[in-house]
Amino acid sequence: MSDHDEESMAESETDSEIDPSELTDKELQEAFSQGKLKPGLNVVLEGKPIASNDVNGLKQSLLNFKKDLDWLERLDVTTAPVPDKTGQNGVEGTQNSDINAEDDFQREMCFYRQAQAAVLFALPRLQQFKISTKRPDDYFAEMAKTDHHMQKVRQKLQAKQQAMEKSEKAKQLRALRNYGKKVQVEVLQKRQKEKSNMMNQIKKYQKGLSDKLDFLEGDQPQKKMSGAPGKKKGPSAKRKYKDQKFGFGGRKKGSKRNTKESFNDVSGFKASVAHGKGPHRPGSKGRKNANKRPGKKVRQKIKNKGR
Amino acid sequence: MAAYRRKRGVSSELATPNKKAKLGQNEKDVAGEQYTIPAPVSEGKWKNKERVLIFSSRGINFRTRHLMQDLRKLMPHSKADTKMDRKDKLFVVNEVCEMKNCNKCIYFEAKKKQDLYMWVSNAPGGPSAKFLVQNIHTLAELKMTGNCLKGSRPLLSFDPAFDRDPYLALLKELFIQIFGTPRYHPKSQPFVDHVFTFSVADKRIWFRNYQIIEEDASLVEIGPRFVMNLIKIFQGSFGGPTLYENPHYMSPNMHRRMLRLATAAKVKERQQVRELQKLKKSENKEIISTDPAEGVFDTPAEEKPVKIETEPPLPKPRIKRKDKQFKRQRMAKKRV
Repeated sequence: MSDHDEESMAESETDSEIDPSELTDKELQEAFSQGKLKPGLNVVLEGKPIASNDVNGLKQSLLNFKKDLDWLERLDVTTAPVPDKTGQNGVEGTQNSDINAEDDFQREMCFYRQAQAAVLFALPRLQQFKISTKRPDDYFAEMAKTDHHMQKVRQKLQAKQQAMEKSEKAKQLRALRNYGKKVQVEVLQKRQKEKSNMMNQIKKYQKGLSDKLDFLEGDQPQKKMSGAPGKKKGPSAKRKYKDQKFGFGGRKKGSKRNTKESFNDVSGFKASVAHGKGPHRPGSKGRKNANKRPGKKVRQKIKNKGR
Repeated sequence: MAAYRRKRGVSSELATPNKKAKLGQNEKDVAGEQYTIPAPVSEGKWKNKERVLIFSSRGINFRTRHLMQDLRKLMPHSKADTKMDRKDKLFVVNEVCEMKNCNKCIYFEAKKKQDLYMWVSNAPGGPSAKFLVQNIHTLAELKMTGNCLKGSRPLLSFDPAFDRDPYLALLKELFIQIFGTPRYHPKSQPFVDHVFTFSVADKRIWFRNYQIIEEDASLVEIGPRFVMNLIKIFQGSFGGPTLYENPHYMSPNMHRRMLRLATAAKVKERQQVRELQKLKKSENKEIISTDPAEGVFDTPAEEKPVKIETEPPLPKPRIKRKDKQFKRQRMAKKRV
C-alpha cells in the first residue's frame, strides 16, 4: 500500500500541490480508474544492498601508507605453490582459490607447497645477501617452544608410533587365532566322524552283519603311530594358561597384589567394553536373559494356583 | 631471668629473617645469571622502526589468549598492553597506540565469549581491516612439531591472489608491515628460519607458520594457525569510511540462527509427518469398522439336533499292520 502511496505522490505533485500523506484511498481509487496506476510501476527492493568496493579508494589508501623498503627489510614473497610432484591431488598445478577447503589434506598440502615455493625462491637470494638460514651448532638462544614442550612433542610422537605397532601386532595375532580356531574345528569334526564310523561298525558286528574285527586295529595303530614319535607331551594349553595365571612353582605370596605400575596401567581399559557396554563373556549370563526365571515367591504362587 | 629470655627470643626472631633475606637475594642473583641471554650482536643499523601493539578486549577465552601470546612470542617488535574495557570506544585504541609508541596494531575483540574479531590497523592514519577469526590452533599444540628461534625474522609468503584484487593488495602491504620483523631489530635474531604463509582459499585468508629445516625446502609446521574471514576495510584507523565490504561474509550470529532454523524446520517437518501418519491410521480404522459389505457372504449355520452323549465312546480297535517290520530289519534288507 505504501508503495502505491509514494508512486501516486510523484504524479499528483505535478498537477496539484497536495501533501502526499493526505492522499486518501478515494483519490487513489480515482487515479486507478483513470488508468494512472498500473501494476508493475512499483518494484519492491529485494536482496542485500550491494557491498561497497571502492577500488580507487583502496588504491589511494595503499599508496598513502606504502613504505618503500628494500626486499631485505620486508622479506615478502608472492609465489604460486610448487607443482605437485607426487600427484596425490589428482589435479596438477591447482590454484589456492579453487582448492576444496573442506578437504583438509589437500588444503594443507597446498599451503605447504606455497610455503615451499616461497622458500625455494627466497633462499638463494638470502644467501646472496649473506643472511644465514641456519644457525651454527654452537649458537644457543631461546627458542619459540621450550625444551620441555619439545620433549612433550617427541613423547607424543613416540607414543603414536608405539600405538601403531601395537595395533599391527594385535591384528596379526587375531588373524593367527582365527586360523587356529579353524584348524581346531576341523580336527574335532574329523574325530567325530571317526568315532561315528567306529560305532557303526561295532553295531554291525553286534548284529552279526559282519564278522570282521579289523576296524578295531585299523584305527589304533594310526593313533599310536601319531603318539609314538613324540617322547612326552607337555601340559595342555589349558594347563599352561592356568600355570601362567596362578603361578607354577616359586613364591606366590604377594604376587597378586597391585603394584604402582599395575595400578597406573590402564592399557587394558576400553571405553567400548567398560561398564557393561561390550559384548558379554560367553561364561556369564546375558543381561537380557539373566532373570528369566521368576523369584521363589512367585514360583510358589504359580504352583499354588495350579492346585 | 624472664627479661633475659625474652631478649634472647626477640634477638633470635630478628636474626632469622635477615638470614633468609640474604639467602633469597643470593638465589635471585644466581637465577638471574642463569637465565639472562645476551642479545644478539647486530652489525647493521636498525632503520625500520616498526612497532606493533598486540592486545585484546576483556572477555577473551583461553585460546585467544594463547594465540595472542604466541604472536607476541614470534614477533619481537610487538608490544603488549592491558586488556581494554568493552565499554570503551574503539578509537581509544589509537590513543593507546600513541601512548605505547606503536604505529601498527593488532587488536582482538571478543564477543559473546565465543566470537573473536581481529582488527589489523595502521595506527594513526589508517587503513584498518576487521576480520572474524576462526579455527585457531595455538603454538602449544603437540601436533605441530616444528620449532624456531625466538625472535628470528620470518619470510612472508603470499598467495598470487593477493596481487589480483586491490583489497587483497592493500591487506598484503598491511600484513608485510605488521608481521615482518624489522631488520637489525635489537630483540631479533640474525637468522631466517621460518615462513609465515598467507593463502586465500574459500574466500578466507589462512595463516600458517612453517619452520625451514633443510635447504631443499622441507618444512615442518610450528603454529599457530588461524583463519581470517575479512569483514570490512576502513579508510581510517578503527573507523572512517568503508573501502571494502566482504559480500560473502556472514556474521556468526546469523550463521547460528540459520543452523537453529534448519534444525527447527527439520523437527517441524518430522512432527507433521508423524501427525499425518496418525491421521491416516485412524481413517483406515474407521473404514474397516463400518464395512457395509462385510456380512454379505455370511450364511447362518444349520441347526443341529442337540444330542447328549451319556456313555463314553468305544475305544478304537488297534490295527497292527502285518507287513510293517522293525526298522532294523528294513534297513538290513535295503543293504542286502
